[in-house]
Amino acid sequence: MKISRHIGKRRISFLAYFILALTVAMITFLPFYWAISLSIRNPIEAFTVTGLAVPFLQYKPTLSNWHTELAVGETQKALLNSSIVGIGTAVAVSLLGVPAAYAIARFKFRRPKNSDITVWFLSQRVLPPIATVIPFFLIIRFLGLIDTLPALILINVTFNLPFVVVIMRQAFIDLPIELEEAALVDGANHFNIFLSISLRLAAPSLAAVILIVLAFTWNEFLFALTIGSLKAKVIPVHMAGAVDTRGVQFWFVAVRSLIAISPPVIMALLAQRYIVRGLTFGAVKG
Amino acid sequence: MLKDTKIKWMFLLPAALWVLGFTLFPLFYGVRLSLFNVKIGGIDEFVGLANFIHFFKDFRARYSVIITLIFVISGVFIQMVLGLSYAILFNRPMPARGLLRTIVTMPLFATPIAVGFLFFTIFYEEGGLINGIINLKIPWLSNPYWALSSIIIVDIWQWTPFCFLIFLAALQGIPDDFYEAAALETSKARQVFFYISFPILQPTIVLVLLLRITEAFKVFDIPFTLTTGGPGMATQVLSMYAYRVGMRFFNFGYSSAISILLFIVVMIFIMTMFKRIRQTYQ
Repeated sequence: MKISRHIGKRRISFLAYFILALTVAMITFLPFYWAISLSIRNPIEAFTVTGLAVPFLQYKPTLSNWHTELAVGETQKALLNSSIVGIGTAVAVSLLGVPAAYAIARFKFRRPKNSDITVWFLSQRVLPPIATVIPFFLIIRFLGLIDTLPALILINVTFNLPFVVVIMRQAFIDLPIELEEAALVDGANHFNIFLSISLRLAAPSLAAVILIVLAFTWNEFLFALTIGSLKAKVIPVHMAGAVDTRGVQFWFVAVRSLIAISPPVIMALLAQRYIVRGLTFGAVKG
Repeated sequence: MLKDTKIKWMFLLPAALWVLGFTLFPLFYGVRLSLFNVKIGGIDEFVGLANFIHFFKDFRARYSVIITLIFVISGVFIQMVLGLSYAILFNRPMPARGLLRTIVTMPLFATPIAVGFLFFTIFYEEGGLINGIINLKIPWLSNPYWALSSIIIVDIWQWTPFCFLIFLAALQGIPDDFYEAAALETSKARQVFFYISFPILQPTIVLVLLLRITEAFKVFDIPFTLTTGGPGMATQVLSMYAYRVGMRFFNFGYSSAISILLFIVVMIFIMTMFKRIRQTYQ
């Protein structure tokens, strides 16, 4: 008797917690849902359909907004620019950051000590961007790179490099060192060991780190706005210009928001396992 | 550790020099700018601490500091409480747990600038999502108090997943033995939480708190798009004020002084945090 009542109670609380979790997930998803719903709505119905605006029930969905927006030359240009800046940043940041991470993980530094080097890299990440935006603006102007993609790559590399170093350092430390030691005994040099053993073993971590760097770079707005507002316009800047010039056009905001939001969200979900480690600078292992 | 060779410097130096050049130099340049009255096309004039003294007399700056503090304290507090609750909730066995967790994580990496504009349509007074559902006409963006609440709500939506993910990872890191031992003593979930989970989570809680505070002080994108700092100065956080002074009115010296002050505040929190983080790298 007593036991069965206990189990019954547990089943009820199990259900209650599940419903609570479902509600939390639904509320979190609501803005995404709203964006999708707006983006497939006929512009005339943007204000007439109210409440939750369920497609098919409250209005007839259409893809015409998507066709219109994706056909805009500037949108295509911004997508291209964002991709170039993202890929350029990812490549440069890997070339610079991964060897540095390897050095801190595998060699002993005395002055400064390994832990000091790591913390020094970390400390760069926390600088408020606004404190460097004007100096960067003046430096970039001095270099004659205002409104160019290389300028944006340069800045994104600077802000993502510490992240790559710290996370890849941990990835190399987690690898067994015996293979590298054995290769050294066999007479291989450090560069070959790094390239053909360590890097190959750490490839999954590197892939995840690159995805997160791509997401960070894609989302960066402050520097993109100050340095690349015309020719080097990336997606967030393109997005910001939309509302100024065209007023409040809901469908338009929705389509552009989704174009901006989808890539980083998908990339982050693919790298889910590394997000926690990345966000806490490796202090918490996900 | 591998044998000591000079090659290690060839691995390390490119990245170290890059970071040294592109972060320290702008920072020092920023400090220099803050001590000058900068004129575009003219010669900079050294004014000592005048820009900083001006900050403490400037009522806009004072207002901005208050707004930023309200934003940081209330936003971060709610995110921490929600994040921890979500972590405990989603650590329980339930159907489709992976999918639900993924959905709850989604806002974290959503482009902030797009999030700002999207919430503009959500908070819109006529035909927006929220007023449409609750059937009220709340002036989300046109009333100063509601506008501040709006940017805090968006910040909570975007950053609660951050607290959630880290707390969840920490909860999962608690060995099962602890709970098994606790099960012998008590069957009350609340006691298990306060005597087992909470003490173990405490360092993580402090870490998340500090990380969030430093990030929240830097907020820029959301007020920039959602309210453009308005109505009036109601949502003009420090980053926005510094940006406006610098890039709209081209007062580079004063703008740099505001940024440097913000940097000092953030630095105080970071120093505390680094004492903690450093231990993990020993």
